[in-house]
Amino acid sequence: MASQFELTRNITIGQYIPTGSIIHKLDACFKLLSFTIMLIAIAICGTYFGNIVILAFSIALFMLSRIPIRYGLSGIKPAIPFVVILAILQLLFYGSVASGGTVLVKSGFILITTDSLRLVVVSAMRFVEIILISSVLTLSTSTTELTHGMERLLKPLKYIKFPVHEFSLIITIAIRFVPTFAMEMEKLMKAQASRGAEFGTGQWWRIVKRTKDMFPLIIPLFNSAMERAEDLILAMEARCYTPGEVRSNYKRYHIKVTDIMVLLFSILFSILILFYPFPY
Amino acid sequence: MEKGLTIRRIVVAGVLSAIAILLGVTRLGYIPVPTPAGNATIMHVPAIIGGIMEGPIVGLIIGLIFGASSFLEATVPLFKDPLVAILPRLFIGVVAFFIYFGLKRFNEYVAIGVAGFIGSLTNTVLVLFMAVVRGYMAPKVAIGVAITNGIPEAIVSIIVTLAIVASWKKIGVSVKQKSKISGKF
Repeated sequence: MASQFELTRNITIGQYIPTGSIIHKLDACFKLLSFTIMLIAIAICGTYFGNIVILAFSIALFMLSRIPIRYGLSGIKPAIPFVVILAILQLLFYGSVASGGTVLVKSGFILITTDSLRLVVVSAMRFVEIILISSVLTLSTSTTELTHGMERLLKPLKYIKFPVHEFSLIITIAIRFVPTFAMEMEKLMKAQASRGAEFGTGQWWRIVKRTKDMFPLIIPLFNSAMERAEDLILAMEARCYTPGEVRSNYKRYHIKVTDIMVLLFSILFSILILFYPFPY
Repeated sequence: MEKGLTIRRIVVAGVLSAIAILLGVTRLGYIPVPTPAGNATIMHVPAIIGGIMEGPIVGLIIGLIFGASSFLEATVPLFKDPLVAILPRLFIGVVAFFIYFGLKRFNEYVAIGVAGFIGSLTNTVLVLFMAVVRGYMAPKVAIGVAITNGIPEAIVSIIVTLAIVASWKKIGVSVKQKSKISGKF
């Protein structure tokens, strides 16, 4: 019951753990770029061995960044029931989609082949890997660094009139407000519950009732969000923020040798994962 | 109407995107329904509201951020495909804006309601269309989902959109707090 009200615990967005490791000192721009490359490699890689290597590598990344691994695991925990149920469903019904390989089980409509088994195992591992790697990125980089990095990464888009700075400001605002709203939501839930509201207790097939149960939460949430927006608009206008102007940065970034080495390493690693002929 | 991104648009887009992300991350935005798609969702409502209140650009950006976050958070292979998770979401807010803009002169509230309905259907139909195109779903299944999942979702979306936009336009926060430069009501 108590866990129903703890929203902030599940939110890893905006958390930052300063340990001063090598990974923390990397340029956010290069970190993001390497992360994207790794993400593509993970999304494509479909072999057992390749995924084991990536999994080991993502755990190694945690060690290297000196962040306790439980922070990464806490992101996985709430998703476990979903992953397990989905894996079972996929195992039972995906046999006809991924029908290659040898048939392992065939009874009635259930068809399990080596290919569908591979699909299930690999997609579960992929999920864990993506969570681990992305939590290394977000836990070792503050949101300001992250959005600055993204802004510099997207800079070439300025030539096609894409508002890079404004876009990264929007994302900064969005990420900044997620934990605030989560806390607000917690307060709202407690306030409504203490007045006798019930949410999520109706039977799951009564769609309309379960939806209506959420109204006392969602509408105040939107309203208080708009109030905060109004305050922020006022504050920004009072400080004469002008969209589309040339702006200078408080922090200047210089590309270091380690940054380039990390980028090269992630490219090499991805190529290795994708093209090395793993036996399984 | 001013062109481009004003401070107001930047902030509203950011704040509503934050809500879209929050609804996704905490699973408050999901209403569990036993359909092949998994859940009915109200996560697209911020994009509709953004589109109605601040125009198509804001709707587009909220849709983009919502799509990206649902792509990153996805536990289903269907939504781990950016063409399904992100691309259809771009249109939610834009469609909602044009519906609202077109119907506004007849009746404000009807316009908001219809925009919520059509905006939500845009999400359902386009996502399912992409799912069929990319081969995740058979066309028959997709039509089934559209009816069992899309219609209740759209009705929920009407109520939520109407409640929020109407309360915002009518009452707002205490009027004295509003910015004199960009507050238009």
